[in-house]
Amino acid sequence: MKRLALLFLFVTATARGATSIPPIEYRHRVLANGLEVYAVQDRSTPTVAIQVWYRVGGKHDPEGRSGFAHLFEHIMFKSTKNMPSEMLDRLTEDVGGWNNAATYDDMTAYYEVVPSNYLETLLWAEGERMGALTVDEPTFASERDVVKEEYRYRVLAPPYGMLLESIPHDSFTKHPYRRGVIGDIAQLDAATLEDVRAFHATFYRPDNAVLIVAGDFDQQQLDAWVDKYLGAIAKPDAAVPRVNVEEPARTEEKRVTEHGANVPLPAIALTWLAPRAADEDAVPLSVVTTILSEGESSRLREKLVRGDVAQDVFAQGDLREDLGLFAIVSIMATGHEPAQAEKLIRDELAALAAKPVSAAELEKAKNLMLTSELRDRETSNGKAFDLGEAIVVDHDANSVNTDLARLQAITAADIQRVVKKYLIDGKPVVITYTEGK
Amino acid sequence: MLALLVIAATLQTTPPPPAAPRETQVPQAVEKTLANGLRVIVVPKPGIPLVAARIMIKAGAAADPEGRDGLAQLTATVVTKGTKTRTAEEIARGVEALGATMNASAGWDNSAIDVSVMSSNLSRVLEYVGDVVRNPTFPKEEVDRERTRAIDSLQVTLQEPSAIASLVASRLVFGDAPYAHNLEGLPSTVQKIRREDLVTFHRAHYRPENAVLVFSGDVSADAAFALAERVFGGWKRGKGTRETVAGGQDARPPRVVVIDMPEAGQSAVVVARRGIRRTDPAYMQAMVANAVLGGGYSSRLNQKIRIERGLSYGAESAFEARAQAGPFTASAQTKHESVPEVIGIITSEVKGLSENDVPQTELLPRKAALIGSFVFSLETTSGIVNRISALALHGLPLSDVNRYIANVQAVTAEDVRRFATSSLGGNDFSIVVAGNAKEFIEPLRKQFEDVEVIGLGDLDLMSSRLRVRLKKE
Repeated sequence: MKRLALLFLFVTATARGATSIPPIEYRHRVLANGLEVYAVQDRSTPTVAIQVWYRVGGKHDPEGRSGFAHLFEHIMFKSTKNMPSEMLDRLTEDVGGWNNAATYDDMTAYYEVVPSNYLETLLWAEGERMGALTVDEPTFASERDVVKEEYRYRVLAPPYGMLLESIPHDSFTKHPYRRGVIGDIAQLDAATLEDVRAFHATFYRPDNAVLIVAGDFDQQQLDAWVDKYLGAIAKPDAAVPRVNVEEPARTEEKRVTEHGANVPLPAIALTWLAPRAADEDAVPLSVVTTILSEGESSRLREKLVRGDVAQDVFAQGDLREDLGLFAIVSIMATGHEPAQAEKLIRDELAALAAKPVSAAELEKAKNLMLTSELRDRETSNGKAFDLGEAIVVDHDANSVNTDLARLQAITAADIQRVVKKYLIDGKPVVITYTEGK
Repeated sequence: MLALLVIAATLQTTPPPPAAPRETQVPQAVEKTLANGLRVIVVPKPGIPLVAARIMIKAGAAADPEGRDGLAQLTATVVTKGTKTRTAEEIARGVEALGATMNASAGWDNSAIDVSVMSSNLSRVLEYVGDVVRNPTFPKEEVDRERTRAIDSLQVTLQEPSAIASLVASRLVFGDAPYAHNLEGLPSTVQKIRREDLVTFHRAHYRPENAVLVFSGDVSADAAFALAERVFGGWKRGKGTRETVAGGQDARPPRVVVIDMPEAGQSAVVVARRGIRRTDPAYMQAMVANAVLGGGYSSRLNQKIRIERGLSYGAESAFEARAQAGPFTASAQTKHESVPEVIGIITSEVKGLSENDVPQTELLPRKAALIGSFVFSLETTSGIVNRISALALHGLPLSDVNRYIANVQAVTAEDVRRFATSSLGGNDFSIVVAGNAKEFIEPLRKQFEDVEVIGLGDLDLMSSRLRVRLKKE
């Protein structure tokens, strides 16, 4: 029995060294109108993912129009010059594919996954909505109602919706990240059809977009179709407006209290300003979040959840284009107060800064992250998503591959250093959340 | 050159037609049964060095004993929290050191432990799976902790209008039969569960002849069979006979019930009735009928409620086909004042399905959407494990996965109407709303005279009466 166990150890030790994640191999070109095109070929199944990422997100919402970029994302499924409303669903769902879109603080991503014989059709459709969006008043009003229902669904109905919504508002002071993405009902009501036209003209243009095609295609044919349907869209003369607001460093801790309806257990969130996604500290910080809260044996889950103080806890390194936000959120167990969680969280961070993590704990975190990355790469859409994030948020497509090598090279000293720099020397905002109005 | 392209692009006013399709390859499952009765199924999927594996026990929440709602779920949770040779911490640390995730949970008719792991670590993680399934000790402090966590988690769930509406709907549809209770139980039932209940549930149901082991991913059939034999070959068959469970009997007359939640941020609407069992010969007709009615973005319910009227972020319907007939539900969340309108649309769309044939121009794309979601579910190792273990659970041939596309294509508009007439016709629907009653109760009373309004504080989910009985002085 013992010998057998030793044998397994040897086998996995060897195998683990050998398990390398195949790189995402992509072809890149830039069209004359500024559109960036990335292609990742995988012909193992007859499907293809088409993604268009626009470098516009919640942080570009016009003044007094919080939630506008997200509302606009919904409008992009409505009519264009040659497509009636919802035709995109006809070209995807109706042929056995699917589509969706997501608005973030920094960008908006549109994606379709279809049987690969529909690739040309979808490239035409993406060209239509980049070049010729047309929307009428009734459609606009109805879709705005949908977005208001989405706000109720995400923020008002779930007990902790308002806590998550308040995190950016309480954590940033100047940067538009403070407004969040979903906005509020009054500002959505203030939006007009004219805002839609202006927003499209300002941000939805080839030189502010990235096209990613992943899956089953012929490279030459793809290039020809991209030229035909997306290469002819004119690039406007005016420059794309950029957000250049500097978020000031925090000089002291801040404590706030937030309330929501139907909150059975109090909760707490601690947030720290963190570096932007392209910073070299991004990868070690993502290892820190894994060590803190990924899996039942992670430090915070062992201390807070298995310690019977919290119902749930998670750490999140939301590293964005301009700067990041590191957050730890915990919902208390019955009979426990947020102050108890706060003390345990701060003690654990202090311990992580004071003493290097063991080789085994570091290896565990890396293995969890590598396996999760493998799951992302099971599908063409997953691969395209990882690549899109690297391009738009990290400003470096190849970071989708090099980050894995950097992950492997992270040391215990790296972990100690970033914990001290951002989470010990940095000043937290502490949000306590209870029932109330 | 650029000028020519501009003209070409502006001339293209209709979408370019599709090229010839390529055939979809559906994976092939291979299986063997070990001497102790454990059925082992492997679906090799080379490429990404990843494997998903599940040990499925063919008993779930439908087997919760009277007054112990939530036992199957709590048993699955605590199974991974200590064995004869390992503590809960050692198990979690050991599994996670391999980069693997391990999740234990119960469904209505099954319990399962799922792992996802890089293929080089499969054999080591399976040792842990074998250990927790075969040798759990249910340490008292772990049972106590997970019981408290389950109750806390229920407290959160029971504040959500969608959860309240769906739990009330189950009670209305199934009366006092097993499918009527909450899968995770209620604070009052979970509180009563003792360590001995978990031990008894495990002994009765976690047996090799009542289990199926499914692998999918970067592993050969031979390697998976050998691994199964090594880890589970010595697992002894259970003693005595297992009780069989009837989950879904006891259909009740329909009711219209409002649970008043004055602070709720939105109202949840559920229209429900008894649906079908998974082995119903009309299963495929049901899936196609549902794809037309409320499965997917462009289905009729979402079309009318979200796309045309902006009344909800999403409306949908579903048949939960279980071992016994599970529920059919159509649901949406909406602002309080829109509740009567949403209910009107849902009931009229359900009725419409049995009144008129679905036009071919609608039926074909809805079938394509159903086939598409099937194909995409087979793209991932965990998706394959889900599909295959559902077939194994219900004793259906694994080759059904290879016939699925043809079976969907064979369903006609007449089949859909016939199915809708027999299974969705009539007025056998219960209607439940959880939300701020004063915003919609007046118009709702005009639609349904006999609507019952129950305050959240007076709601008793343990009985189909639904209302807490006033104590006599």
